[in-house]
Amino acid sequence: MSRFAPISPRETKIVKPDLSSYKFGFHTSTDKYAFKSGKGLSTKVVEDISSRKNEPEWMRKQRLEGHRIFKDKKMPEWGADLSSIHFDDIYYYLKPTNKEGKNWEDVPLEIKNTFDKLGIPEAEQKTLSGVKAQFDSEIIYGSIKKMLSDKGVVFLGMDEGLKKYSDLVREYFGSLIPTGDNKFAALNTAVWSGGSFVYVPKNVDVGLPLQAYFRINSPNAGQFERTLIIADEGSKVHYVEGCTAPAFTDGSLHSAVVEIFVKKGATVQYTTVQNWYKNVYNLVTKRARVEEEGRMVWTDFNMGSKVTMKYPGFILAGKGAVGETLSMAMAGVGQQLDTGSKAIHLAPYTSSTIISKSISKGGGRTSYRGMVSIGPKAHHSKSKVICDALILDPQSRSDTYPTNKIFNSDVTLEHEASVSRIGEEQLFYLMSRGISENEAGKMIVQGFADPLIKKLPMEYAVEMNRLIDMEMAGSVG
Amino acid sequence: MIKFINKPGNYSFTLDKKGQELEIVGRFHLTGNQVGRWDVEIIHSAPNTTSKTTIKGVVDGSARAFVDGIIRVFPAAVGTEAFLEERILLVSENAKAEATPNLEIETDEVHCSHAATVGKIDEEEIFYLQSRGIKLKQAKEMITAGFLL
Repeated sequence: MSRFAPISPRETKIVKPDLSSYKFGFHTSTDKYAFKSGKGLSTKVVEDISSRKNEPEWMRKQRLEGHRIFKDKKMPEWGADLSSIHFDDIYYYLKPTNKEGKNWEDVPLEIKNTFDKLGIPEAEQKTLSGVKAQFDSEIIYGSIKKMLSDKGVVFLGMDEGLKKYSDLVREYFGSLIPTGDNKFAALNTAVWSGGSFVYVPKNVDVGLPLQAYFRINSPNAGQFERTLIIADEGSKVHYVEGCTAPAFTDGSLHSAVVEIFVKKGATVQYTTVQNWYKNVYNLVTKRARVEEEGRMVWTDFNMGSKVTMKYPGFILAGKGAVGETLSMAMAGVGQQLDTGSKAIHLAPYTSSTIISKSISKGGGRTSYRGMVSIGPKAHHSKSKVICDALILDPQSRSDTYPTNKIFNSDVTLEHEASVSRIGEEQLFYLMSRGISENEAGKMIVQGFADPLIKKLPMEYAVEMNRLIDMEMAGSVG
Repeated sequence: MIKFINKPGNYSFTLDKKGQELEIVGRFHLTGNQVGRWDVEIIHSAPNTTSKTTIKGVVDGSARAFVDGIIRVFPAAVGTEAFLEERILLVSENAKAEATPNLEIETDEVHCSHAATVGKIDEEEIFYLQSRGIKLKQAKEMITAGFLL
């Protein structure tokens, strides 16, 4: 309805999601899977996963500990409604194939078709340093450019990483996000499978991005990848993850844990382009520890999923460490995206910037939930938080919940937020230039998102613009 | 109408008459071991209502300030304009502050914003006053007084 039409009583009916436009909605049969665990979670399932993966004893113990904590912890009572997750109906471990392919030819045909449709092999050849592709619970394909592996860059599936670099994994695994951090981190620790293990040696610059693709294929599947990135002193790496899932009526659960260690003077950028199908619960814990003069950048784009709760954070532990979060969320019909970022300043001269933009439409709900904490030792620290929200219709909702804790007088903290709809004058200006109302609305929304999209590598920026375009089609008014 | 909330406490204001306007002002100066907690809720439930909230405080000694504000805009409150500002000046090393400006917006035809800052006295302002022959202690007092205006 045009906003210039006569005002009618406000409609409050909730429209069913129109999912026909979701182009990743196909799926392949799960009959040929190498292994499927039964539905539901029990000690037996956890033990079974561990023994199938031939894991060391300490990992088995940690998994069981995770399972125990998961059972004990209550569901979070804040944020989105999670009561319709049925933990007993979820398949916790789905192994599509017995081994990870090193050549694209080795990947089973059905899975290959899926990733071909997503355009992954071509993308790899053109613009990436390395690729991992995860199908349900296991990494099914992986490669890295020879030049980088010669320099000592490690890019493996997490399971393979645990086998080959057991000591390194044992030292870092769960040290930043402990098992009992929250209910879903505990669940991930219990049943994790897949994810990436990245190690970048001292002073190595991984020029092109490393990419991981996560694909949920089965109905009621749980995907619990675990990623560990260690960037040694003076190194530089950009890691990109993309997420899609088929169109099923039953909800799936995606609950990842990502731990990143940014050593002295290193730079890590972690980009997420999340476009899950609109029935996926996306509950993710991501955290980075930044040492002296290090730099961590989270670029977080959330378009899909039914519910997302994700607050990528950074602990600025070394003098002069820098953390940056650029987050964008777009919630449509039936979606609730509860996103934000946490900045924990522990050392002097640290700085953090959090820029969050959200768009809600068609009854969707977006929330910014964030925390900035500046500790007693973090003198001369700076923090800046900017949240902008755009609401496109009266049924939609936008919330902002920032928390700022300051334990030190020698700091600068700024927080700004604004919520508005598309400006009448902006629309009028564009329409007076002969642009249709729909077109003008789209232009304004794209302009709103543009500062963040600019931070993405070219290919993703194009994709992102296209996604926004698709989401916005016919919705402005 | 102007409401003052200079004392710590729980405050809730509802704008339920069409076109109602409300200004909320809070100023405080905490010293010693004082702990001040402000919970301020501003509810917009009628159309075309306007609220403006400014809370400013100076925290000295080892005092602690907690300022938790929330603007709620209900679906019926179209044409709402709401601003929430929380500014805290920490003048001693042991002073602590928490500023939480929340927004919950349930309709689209609104203009809402909030801002929060926590910081210390600007070195340059002190320098300027000192260069004019004003003693450090007095300079700090002048800046603090100016901040609370």
